[in-house]
Amino acid sequence: MYDVIVIGAGPAGVNAAIEADNLGYSVLIIDEQGSAGGQVWRNKSSSIIDAPKTETSIKGNALRDALMSSNVSVKYEARVWHIEKCDTIWNIHIENDVLTSKNLIIATGAYERIIPIPGWTLPGVIGLAGATALFKEHMMVPGHKTVVAGSGPLLFYVANEIERLGGTVEAIVSLNSRFDWLKSLLIMITQPILLWQGFKWVTAFYKKTIWQSAPIKFEGADHIELVKIKKVDDDWKPIGKEQILEADSVCYGQGLIPAIEASRLAGAEHHYDETLGGWVPTIDDMGRTSIEGLFVCGDNAGILGALAAPIRGKNAAQAINKNGVVYDIGKFERFGKAMTALSIPRAGLLNLIDTDTDVCRCEGVTRKEIEHEIITGAQSPNAIKSGTRCGMGPCGGRFCADAQAMINEHVTGKTREDIGLPTARPPLRPMPMDQITEELNYDDLPIPGVSPL
Amino acid sequence: MIRRAAEITFQFDGDEFTAFDGETISAALLRSGQKNIRSAPTGAPRGMFCGMGVCQECVVEVDGKKTEACRKKVKAGLIVRKATYV
Amino acid sequence: MTNTYDIAIIGGGIMGCGAALRIKEGGMDPVVIDQGDIGQGASGVNAGTLSMQIKRVKLMPYAIKGHHEWQLMGEKVGFKKTGGLTLAFNDREAELLQERMTMKRDAGADITFVNPKKVEEIEPHLAKKIVAASFCPDDGYANSSLSGQYYRGRLTDENIDTIERFQVSEININSNGYEISSGDQVIKATRILIACGGLTKHVAAMLGEDLPIRARINTVSVTERAPRIMNGVIGHATGLLTMKQKDNGTVLIGGGWQGKGTPEEGRGAINPETLLPNLQLAQFAVPTLSKVRVVRSWTGFEANVPDFYPLAGRLGEKDNAYILGCVRGGYTIGPYISKLMGDLILGREPEMPLFDPNRVFNEDKLI
Ligand SMILES: Cc1cc2nc3c(=O)[nH]c(=O)nc-3n(C[C@H](O)[C@H](O)[C@H](O)COP(=O)(O)OP(=O)(O)OC[C@H]3O[C@@H](n4cnc5c(N)ncnc54)[C@H](O)[C@@H]3O)c2cc1C
Ligand code: FES
Repeated sequence: MYDVIVIGAGPAGVNAAIEADNLGYSVLIIDEQGSAGGQVWRNKSSSIIDAPKTETSIKGNALRDALMSSNVSVKYEARVWHIEKCDTIWNIHIENDVLTSKNLIIATGAYERIIPIPGWTLPGVIGLAGATALFKEHMMVPGHKTVVAGSGPLLFYVANEIERLGGTVEAIVSLNSRFDWLKSLLIMITQPILLWQGFKWVTAFYKKTIWQSAPIKFEGADHIELVKIKKVDDDWKPIGKEQILEADSVCYGQGLIPAIEASRLAGAEHHYDETLGGWVPTIDDMGRTSIEGLFVCGDNAGILGALAAPIRGKNAAQAINKNGVVYDIGKFERFGKAMTALSIPRAGLLNLIDTDTDVCRCEGVTRKEIEHEIITGAQSPNAIKSGTRCGMGPCGGRFCADAQAMINEHVTGKTREDIGLPTARPPLRPMPMDQITEELNYDDLPIPGVSPL
Repeated sequence: MIRRAAEITFQFDGDEFTAFDGETISAALLRSGQKNIRSAPTGAPRGMFCGMGVCQECVVEVDGKKTEACRKKVKAGLIVRKATYV
Repeated sequence: MTNTYDIAIIGGGIMGCGAALRIKEGGMDPVVIDQGDIGQGASGVNAGTLSMQIKRVKLMPYAIKGHHEWQLMGEKVGFKKTGGLTLAFNDREAELLQERMTMKRDAGADITFVNPKKVEEIEPHLAKKIVAASFCPDDGYANSSLSGQYYRGRLTDENIDTIERFQVSEININSNGYEISSGDQVIKATRILIACGGLTKHVAAMLGEDLPIRARINTVSVTERAPRIMNGVIGHATGLLTMKQKDNGTVLIGGGWQGKGTPEEGRGAINPETLLPNLQLAQFAVPTLSKVRVVRSWTGFEANVPDFYPLAGRLGEKDNAYILGCVRGGYTIGPYISKLMGDLILGREPEMPLFDPNRVFNEDKLI
């Protein structure tokens, strides 16, 4: 039994774990990856023996070193599939094991919002965050000729990494206008180093950037070959003439969504806040949730990015004690929110989702089918899911829930808060049966009584 | 300069592919230009998408088990098949 | 909402919706009220097994009729008649199987005993550890996820009012009938039918009735799409396993293992201490399943009474108040028993006897 279990070893989780360790608690940190770092400071794969240092490797190594020299116990390549609170104790279920603690800190980060458009399922179209995983873990590029499309700061980071690693950026197709960026500039001034870096990237790709535009269709036979784009208006509705780009790979995404599945399974209250990326746990300024002994930090508590994450982590550890100290995240929060603001979906985006586009990739459910289900009376995410299978597949609805809710919002006029979320159910990831169960000794089967005759 | 581990070979869908020892199946396949690694229930081609073990688009079969190619490391001689469905 | 309905049906599950359809057909004007969405309670999350072999002996005639109703609903509810096997893995279970299936056969189900060779022909992926097995060609399943869509469509077609997201918190009786309220919203009706599934006790209590209901909380799991590993419904002599593989390749695993929570507190949760044995037993029966991934496990509530028979009839001494609830196999018999209930409310003689909610609940009274 630990005093504290931390789920997720990104900058928020690791800092929470180290802070908790410093406060004298016994701490275990769990991650499904092979080492700490999370998405942002993701570690290199063992296939890379030596490579020039980068910010990712320097910061990531520092984080891993700090963790190593602490007393925190670690468990990597462990997938949490269920979380339950029994009286005052947390039971954390991983493959063939249950870990217990008095306090639970969830730091599961984020995944990407990716707006479904025709052809978005073609091989070679990958998420912007997915692309960063390729750079960081494998130091490789997604193809020879890449279109980078979507919104927010990741666009320029991804483009820069592609060229640094020897790829070619065909174009950056940015939903955001130059003016959107100018507005965030004021806040970026608080982070001069980032501002300078951002400035360098934007100027480097200035000629290749097609501002205020969006892909409307990806085309190709068995992988991406062409990207059709259009200008968008201030509402991000596509307008004007089609332009065609050639590419053998596309990195595409519209910002991040908090990964709240774990905190929902743990029973915490959540609410909708678009400035934080969508649905977030309802917390105080230190990360205390509505459930005693449950704390959250990092992007799963609202998208504020890597700068804010370590402080949010420390605060979550301090929060265990009623009188814990609060570290100030003021300027990091402002910066994080400014970056998140660049990706807040605007109403016109819905026009990109063609009626015959598969919104649910896993189950192949189109916008038309979802709309029909809503019009005929199914309005909650559970009811839409039951009737159409949208969100029933192995990704657990993580890549369709947001678009489904956008469609619902459009058809019914309800707010996201009123639309709500589907019921949270385990496992948190698809789990091979033999990894969560031991082989049955038949005579040991606990038979609770035969069903009545 | 980037120094990588020794090259090894593995099989995907009956064909031989090379990989740097220790990289993931999806990285190795992508490096060889094999983007299409799965057929969706609709029959449409699919490949690595989220790159972080969430979307399940990169699922392949190793030892008869559906496995995320973006998380599973290649080993020399590993036999990887396309995922099979009904 | 000044309109006074002939009857307010609280609960938009199979029971409530089925009764509403019958009542409307008989000329009354019903309204269906649900705290959530139509068909998202037990009716929308159950395992969907339509198996004669897991039905109780005394309920067999109802199950056969219910099965027929599902067959008529057909594709719209994902009905499939696949045949089903019930398995025994040791002598004790074989004995149990022999005794029970014989009684069920005598009650009208088309059940035969099959030898291991035949079992292997029917289900080649089953473990070769089977001691005895029975087979029923009528067994099959429907897709409970489609209950909401199906019944919503039927209610709309029949012009039956539905009021969703209306959580009944108070019921008052006056000389004109019933006033059903949720916050400051009120619905008036001459009669009332409580069909609130796991929450039936809770809602009946609003009328001062204390029913001996304890909710059961059943667990179901579903896997990712897999290659064909099962052809029909697979059950276990104890009733602790039901499995089937849908046309899309996903495998549904149930068996009535109990989760945690109460309907009053909310949705309930799986209990790993029961979920895992459930999955172990599934793999024991079909070893290839161990390589398949579970995508989701969930729970739903049933209204359980001490004798495990349905509650279907008048509520206490009240005029014009009725109750309809069912445990174990309610999905199968729902479309039929709800018709009988409708008939009672319409003042007709039901084709088969109902189950008086005011009975004395001895454990084995009706057997
Ligand atoms: C997990 C599970 C697996 C099962 N598997 C099978 C199977 O394989 N085969 C089989 O034959 N049977 C099965 N059953 C049994 C079967 O599902 C049920 O017996 C049947 O669906 C009951 O229908 P119902 O309409 O009574 O209840 P429900 O479908 O639960 O409907 C009750 C409705 O009442 C509403 N309600 C409750 N309180 C209020 C209130 N205060 N105000 C307004 N509305 C309210 C609820 O929202 C709900 O929609 C299973 C049950 C469960 C839970
Ligand atoms: S690419 Fe999404 S799970 Fe592997």
